[in-house]
Amino acid sequence: MKGNDKLGWAKIDWKTILVFVVLVFIGWLNIYAAVYNEALAGGFSLSSKYGMQLIWIGISTIAALVILLIDDIYYHQLAYPAYAVMLIVLLLTLVVGHKVNGARSWLVVGPISIQPAEFMKVATALSLARFMSEYNFSLSKPRGVVGVGVILFIPIAIILLQNDMGSALVYCSFLLMLFREGLNPWVYYALFLVVGLFVGSFILSPTALLIGLVVLFVVSQFFSNRNPKESVTFVASVGLVSLVLYGLSWLGQWGLNYYHSLLAASLIMLVPALIYAYREKLSTIYLYATMFGSSLLFLGAVDYVFNDVLQLHQQKRILDLLGIESDLKGWGYNVHQSKIAIGSGGFWGKGFLDGTQTKYDFIPEQSTDFIFCTVGEEWGFVGSVVVLALFATLIIRLMKMGERQQEPFRRVYCYGVAGIFLFHTIINIGMTIGLMPVIGIPLPMFSYGGSSLLAFTILFFIAVRLDSQNSSIGSTYKFY
Amino acid sequence: MAGNNRHIILRWFVIGLFALLGLRLFHIQIIDRSYQRAAENNVLRYEVQHPPRGEIYDRNGDFLAQSVASYDLMVVPRNIPREEGFDTVALARIAGVAPEQLTQSLQAAKNYSHSRASVVVRQLSTEAKLLFDEGNFDGFYTLFRTQRSYPRKIAGNLLGYIGQVNDKIIERNPYYSRGDYIGYSGIESAYEELLRGEKGEKVSIVDVRGTIKGPYQEGHYDKPALSGTPITTTIDAPLQELAEELMQGKVGSVIALEPSTGEILVMVSSPTYDPDELMGRDRGNNYVKMLNNPRQPLFNRAVMSSYPPGSTFKLVNALIGLEEGVVTPARRYPCEGGYHVGRGVKCHDHRSPLNLKDAVSNSCNAYFCYVFRDILDNPTRGGIMKGGYDNWEKYVRSFGFGQKLGSDFASERGGFVPTADFYNDYYPKWNSLTVISMAIGQGELGCSPLQMANLAAIIANRGYYYIPHVVKHIEGRDSLDNRFYERHYTMVSEKHFEPVIDGMWGTVHREIGTAGVAYVKGLDICGKTGTAQNPHGKDHSTFLAFAPKDNPQIAISVYVENGGFGSSVAAPIASLLIEKYLTGEVARPELVKYIKNMDIAYPNYSNKK
Repeated sequence: MKGNDKLGWAKIDWKTILVFVVLVFIGWLNIYAAVYNEALAGGFSLSSKYGMQLIWIGISTIAALVILLIDDIYYHQLAYPAYAVMLIVLLLTLVVGHKVNGARSWLVVGPISIQPAEFMKVATALSLARFMSEYNFSLSKPRGVVGVGVILFIPIAIILLQNDMGSALVYCSFLLMLFREGLNPWVYYALFLVVGLFVGSFILSPTALLIGLVVLFVVSQFFSNRNPKESVTFVASVGLVSLVLYGLSWLGQWGLNYYHSLLAASLIMLVPALIYAYREKLSTIYLYATMFGSSLLFLGAVDYVFNDVLQLHQQKRILDLLGIESDLKGWGYNVHQSKIAIGSGGFWGKGFLDGTQTKYDFIPEQSTDFIFCTVGEEWGFVGSVVVLALFATLIIRLMKMGERQQEPFRRVYCYGVAGIFLFHTIINIGMTIGLMPVIGIPLPMFSYGGSSLLAFTILFFIAVRLDSQNSSIGSTYKFY
Repeated sequence: MAGNNRHIILRWFVIGLFALLGLRLFHIQIIDRSYQRAAENNVLRYEVQHPPRGEIYDRNGDFLAQSVASYDLMVVPRNIPREEGFDTVALARIAGVAPEQLTQSLQAAKNYSHSRASVVVRQLSTEAKLLFDEGNFDGFYTLFRTQRSYPRKIAGNLLGYIGQVNDKIIERNPYYSRGDYIGYSGIESAYEELLRGEKGEKVSIVDVRGTIKGPYQEGHYDKPALSGTPITTTIDAPLQELAEELMQGKVGSVIALEPSTGEILVMVSSPTYDPDELMGRDRGNNYVKMLNNPRQPLFNRAVMSSYPPGSTFKLVNALIGLEEGVVTPARRYPCEGGYHVGRGVKCHDHRSPLNLKDAVSNSCNAYFCYVFRDILDNPTRGGIMKGGYDNWEKYVRSFGFGQKLGSDFASERGGFVPTADFYNDYYPKWNSLTVISMAIGQGELGCSPLQMANLAAIIANRGYYYIPHVVKHIEGRDSLDNRFYERHYTMVSEKHFEPVIDGMWGTVHREIGTAGVAYVKGLDICGKTGTAQNPHGKDHSTFLAFAPKDNPQIAISVYVENGGFGSSVAAPIASLLIEKYLTGEVARPELVKYIKNMDIAYPNYSNKK
């Protein structure tokens, strides 16, 4: 058998491909449902959206076959050239591109429009894989981190210049791969902290936020040091001092509210905590104290920028993105209608082609960014969960695929692809149900659009191809 | 490099994220049902289907009130295209209103609700509706309604009018909602629940622009509107028409009944109005004009006013006297220009003494003063204070006076028959002389024209009446309310009616009679004139009659305010109507002309306020 495998298809992961194909099929059904109109139901038309999408599915199938025929060595070799070419195309788009929704991100070639940013992801993933699999590469060395940073930064910058915020944010998805490859966890802690504080500053009261911060760092210190006594003592003394201050303020009419008392107490108690750290040589306390201070500064900065720098409409946009202020007619309209469509699906859904919200145009962008509404409305909770499960399966299988690779090039690439799929899926679906900010990025294989379908197909099948030629343990590595 | 557990952390991270999405989906799709309702609000439009109001026919099957198609222009402000708006001037022209008025009602609609429908312009004609449909005004649509039309333009007060419900009605009766019509008076009000039908509902699916995409669930939730039930009235339209013609320029009332059934053949309250004036666009203006008209055309005098019955009431006293045995047909009383006991009652010049029959024909005041006092003071009843008065009062009430008859007019009033207590409150001491005016139908007595016509019917029937009613047949029903089939007997037995009827026959047929003017050859009209004194000016002219004497077909009461003698206006009108009813035509065109052009002064009804 082995001798007959000229194509190297013997080890292709057909199960993962099946998941992918099922998603493509369900995605197409939903595009059909989203644009379905009883009045025009007479014939099947290739010029309609579902017809066009079918053509793109055909093109993608051919692309997938071609990818599976190319020897994996070429992906390694073509990574940098592809990256360079795509950068040039991106720059070209910046000059001659078409503006859609305020973003100059479309390149029109004859009858077809393509979105180069979609394909840039493929080139970036390959280039990162190649760069990070180089001999001597290490994420713990500044050279390595800077190199990765540069590869990511250039496309992000150009895409931002195109005014396409959503596509630029997608590059955050490589953080998944970088974590797997050993990027310092403190980067992630800091990232979560910043995002958490930013969101928290809008949805939590200052007092709750402050208590949260104190608890967070005390608990962190406890996990670093495993000494419950010091943590409890600190929390107790902060609480006590804050109450004393509050009581004194009440007696002395100083006008301090509890937030101020607590803030003062926690800052005052930092002094004995730092002395304690110096005596006991507990360096983590310095770290947490610094992070605590930085967090307070960050919160102050967010507060200042939001209230004193941003204009009213910018403030509203941020609040709407966070789902706090809902202007149902304006910014919040899409999400509101989207939630209605999905929520009204109930357990079993309204049935294929029977979704009233999508059929009667209540959802804007219903075949592209908000395609999940059709799933939620017509297939209900059951259908939605099935789709979620399929996506989760696909992503986890991609990560497992990465995990079984012998060579870093293959692993890094697989994880890169998994991250991109994950980011798109979570942000897109999260957006339609009001969990995530409204960032206009497509749902992989579902959203109408040739560029995105083709780009995801290429991304995915290169991973499958790399996996199918995975060298067995002990054999020589191809990619050094 | 791979020797860590980070891939496991990542796997759980991915699972965690998807679980988060799953939980959120579980919440909005299964726990929180408000999205379901919101979705229905989005796509479902509940449209009320207004049924056509039931037609009203006269007793011969001619239309008195019809329903014609009409359309209300509706708007859902949310669905007006925000950028382009719409062509206000063009729409105003189609709807036949001023552009400013359109803008105004549109603003009112917006103030009411952006997403719910409001009426912008009412009662568009079918032509206007077709023009509108060509115009393609997004956000607007027309709603089928019906409008009342009164082809014969008669019987305004009898038919009543319809108007939009007010907040009070909506609060009381959940059937009605803003913009619905309800009958406010007359038949429209009395038979509202039959005439209105049952509103239906159509549930349609609309898209985001408010365009109707079709019925919801193939119309499973639709409820068709049930048309109002047609009603056939007892009214004789040609007779009603003649009565209104004869009453023009006069204030008063005509009521004609079919004695054998209690059916109301004619009911005129004058001045009347063209019921069409209370429909359509000018309704508001016309309504205010009518309200401000001092002659009060909207006041249904036929059932609501309380007039002194005058001499027609002598019939009642005569009948009670005969039944009580205080007088016999042969009993004569002298009259020397009146009854000269106490304050006294004057009488006109006539031969004396007269027996009962002649006293009726001649309307002698003195004769009935004797009779009346004998009834009240009858020692066998214990005298006036020991029950004599109460006994008389009971008799009077058995004729339907002093209380509502129970006709189908909700606005009917009962007139007034004083009780003994009423006088006790007024006078420390009183006797039959104190109330002597009632002997001749004056004083405190008050009767509605309907009650007087009913009296004519009672006498025609020799002792009983059916409750007067205006509905003959309701489609789909075998019978009317039971109360209309019940005979109400008076306390006077049948045999006592003959002498009185003889007297009434004499009124018209004998030289001694007061209403020779009412004579029509061969019709055997029996009548009684009345000339009712009143504190508001010239005497009221009234006449009460039935015909023919045997097997009477029609009983009638005519009351003309300030018309003078009973014989001068009321009697000819009654005579002409009887003639028309019994012979089908009027052979006295000069009399008709004379009556129509008669000029009666109404100083009380001038615009002095």
